[in-house]
Amino acid sequence: MDGFLAFAQGPLFRFCFLIMVLGLARILLLDLYGAYEAYRRAGDKVLPWPLIARRTLQWFVPVNRVFRNRPLYSILSIAFHVGLLLVPLFLFAHVQLWQKAVGVSWPTLPKAVADWLTAGTIVFAFALFVGRLFSRPSSFLSRKQDYLWPLLLSVPFVTGFLCTNVGLAPGTYRTIMLIHILAAELVFVLIPFTKIAHCVLLPLSQFISTLAWKFPAETDDAVGTTLNKKGAPV
Amino acid sequence: MNRVQNTKLILWLIAGLAAAVGVTRFIFGLGATTNLTDATPWGLWIGFDVMAGVALAGGGFVITAIFYIMKREEFHPLVKPAVLTAFLGYIAVVFGLMFDLGLPWNIWHMIIFWNPHSPLFEVGWCVMLYTTVLLLEFSPVPLEEFSRYAKIRAFLMRFRFPLVLLGIMLSTLHQSSLGSLFLIMPFKLHPLWYSEILPVLFFISAAALGLMMVSFESLVSHWLYRRKPETHLVAKLGKAAVWVLGIYLAVKMAELVWSGEFGLIFAGTWESYLFIAELMISVIIPIIIFSIPRTRNSAAGQWAGSALVVFGMIFNRINVGGLTMLRATGDTYVPSWTEIIISLGVVSAAALAFLFAIEKFHIWEQRPRHPETDKHAGASFDHTSEVWLGEPVVSARTKYSLAFIMSFALGFALLPGHKLESKGIETVVVEKARGGDTLYIDGNHDGYGVLFNHAAHIDTTRGRESCVSCHHMNKPLDRETGCWECHRAMYTATDMFGHDRHGSAQGAGLACGECHTPGLERQRSTAKQCDACHLDLIPPGSPIIADGYLAPAYVDILHQQCITCHREQAALQADKPDLALCATCHETVPPEYLQAAVWDNPRAAEFNRVVLPGPVEQTGADDE
Repeated sequence: MDGFLAFAQGPLFRFCFLIMVLGLARILLLDLYGAYEAYRRAGDKVLPWPLIARRTLQWFVPVNRVFRNRPLYSILSIAFHVGLLLVPLFLFAHVQLWQKAVGVSWPTLPKAVADWLTAGTIVFAFALFVGRLFSRPSSFLSRKQDYLWPLLLSVPFVTGFLCTNVGLAPGTYRTIMLIHILAAELVFVLIPFTKIAHCVLLPLSQFISTLAWKFPAETDDAVGTTLNKKGAPV
Repeated sequence: MNRVQNTKLILWLIAGLAAAVGVTRFIFGLGATTNLTDATPWGLWIGFDVMAGVALAGGGFVITAIFYIMKREEFHPLVKPAVLTAFLGYIAVVFGLMFDLGLPWNIWHMIIFWNPHSPLFEVGWCVMLYTTVLLLEFSPVPLEEFSRYAKIRAFLMRFRFPLVLLGIMLSTLHQSSLGSLFLIMPFKLHPLWYSEILPVLFFISAAALGLMMVSFESLVSHWLYRRKPETHLVAKLGKAAVWVLGIYLAVKMAELVWSGEFGLIFAGTWESYLFIAELMISVIIPIIIFSIPRTRNSAAGQWAGSALVVFGMIFNRINVGGLTMLRATGDTYVPSWTEIIISLGVVSAAALAFLFAIEKFHIWEQRPRHPETDKHAGASFDHTSEVWLGEPVVSARTKYSLAFIMSFALGFALLPGHKLESKGIETVVVEKARGGDTLYIDGNHDGYGVLFNHAAHIDTTRGRESCVSCHHMNKPLDRETGCWECHRAMYTATDMFGHDRHGSAQGAGLACGECHTPGLERQRSTAKQCDACHLDLIPPGSPIIADGYLAPAYVDILHQQCITCHREQAALQADKPDLALCATCHETVPPEYLQAAVWDNPRAAEFNRVVLPGPVEQTGADDE
């Protein structure tokens, strides 16, 4: 057991964490380069930059179009993200691990706040899962990974909560800690290759979709010519 | 065209592994990534990356000399690839050297702080200048792609001939000076490799290797891109190599006979076998292959001959660069996998740059069909994911970058974790004091200790309180625990608590909540104190209360404990003025029962870091 734990905390952690960091950097660079090539190929070099910037920023503001259409889903989703991002990054025990390993530390959340955020994240993840299960519009759009992600993400939170707040026997503690670490490492490895990559790609999405749908200036004429309706408005 | 893509994929994988090791080397240093020691400070990186690297890049000056000076026009197809190989080779050498330099950020020092007596100074300058020359020699090729730089290109083309001359001159200088470097080690280097004409041997062998490296590179790249090999040119280079290798062999043998070391070849030592093997691979078999017209013109003969010279000469540089010094130093050195990966990674990066240049620029008379921009290839689905990865150029980018990050992460995971942390001062485990009424205290076991009269230190009038003034803490269920039981390391602090043991089933089997207050962060300040459970930990009247769980170093606490008290007593007892002097306890005369073991043992000096002086008159002049 101790051997497994040491392996999960050492080499396996290094591998999974690096796959996440480098993998995200890789897709970000590949996407940027692809966008640059598309931009260069597009004959019309005028892009509506202010519009792209506004739409991109809109996705960072919690109150947006989705909020008006599906308020409950939006609130749940936003609340889920708060704990999901804050707890792993600012938990005292995690910062201690970084301090011990590389000598860097940063401010941490008070324990009570971290506990409530953790509990909240677990509840919201479950609510999102149930919501997706029973909402007909969602089920049309959902793939297997969309159902699995909230469940997988809640595993490290459940096990982490048990380890910090329940007085466990040492053997049980280690087993649950091992599950905690392995589940988090699975998440790390999957992030760059699944939809969770939106954590770095989100700022690019509006830019790339605008670029992809931006017709060159002479498109009107070209379409008109093709349809034998030269000069008519398309 | 899968051949090129698969090769590139493998090169990217190696480069990824090497990048992880390289990052580690620059963060954690040479100790974490190499098996080098003070006795063997030059290993694979110097032998292969630098010594062999410079020689492998010798093709540049040899081919330009043949083409421009000897006016052998038929070698024109080889000139651009040879200059490119040389240019990338020198970049790789400089890059590889950065890994081996202890203070790589000081590499510019030789430009400002001149040391004209050092061969390395000359090598450094020549490599720097020659790399610049090669850049100028090669840059017309990429500039050809951009019409707006036509003037610069024309300007450079005008100076091509002087540049070529300068390149040949600089090569002659530093290819030989790399040999001069080893003239300083006549006693370290094995006599079969050491020679006063090592510079000459290095130069001749670099010329031979240059010819064969260009042949080997031509064979490999034409095989990769499925082109017709340049058989007639390689055969001509092989014919020339026979002469150069022959001269090399003759000079080498003559030198051995002249210096009277010829007999060592057949001495039967492992060096003699190494020498014979090296000579067979690098010189004799290639000479035979390239002397017979049938094998010289056959593909198999050309592959074998050029590969043998290339690997044989790399072998030679590694032998001179360190392997044959092991006999003199008595060290054992086997490169660690991290050293091998860095060397392979530098070569892979250079090879990727070479393939990139071959595809993008006009290096061959007829460019290779670009394996990644074949528009007519149509969509090909990835075998494993059954996904179309985009047009070939995009899918190649996707695959190579994935390979790179995967092997980078794997490389970093494979590095042993304990090597990534600084060990600091090496732990010297304390040897407990031995004896009865008189104890011999020699914590680091170097035979140079302190005789401690335990019986004389007991103050019988104070009873148990007297014991407690030194034995200030007890292990659970113990009394008068010895110093060494907690202060277990000679020069470093040791953990006397054992967190994991308290939690493990083999130890106390405690749950977290039994020491850490539930609801609070689990840290030292919120945990239960030791004496809350271990009631017998601190005896009543103990003068020293431990703060924290680290026991200071043995040497520190004994000095502190003894000297503090001795000073006090020296001030109080007028009849014992020497009480606080070092020599009072650290006697230069060891106890009688040790004298025979130390002084009469002929090998004692090898074992003892402190060499004991003979019996001397005690002067007592030291302070303290």
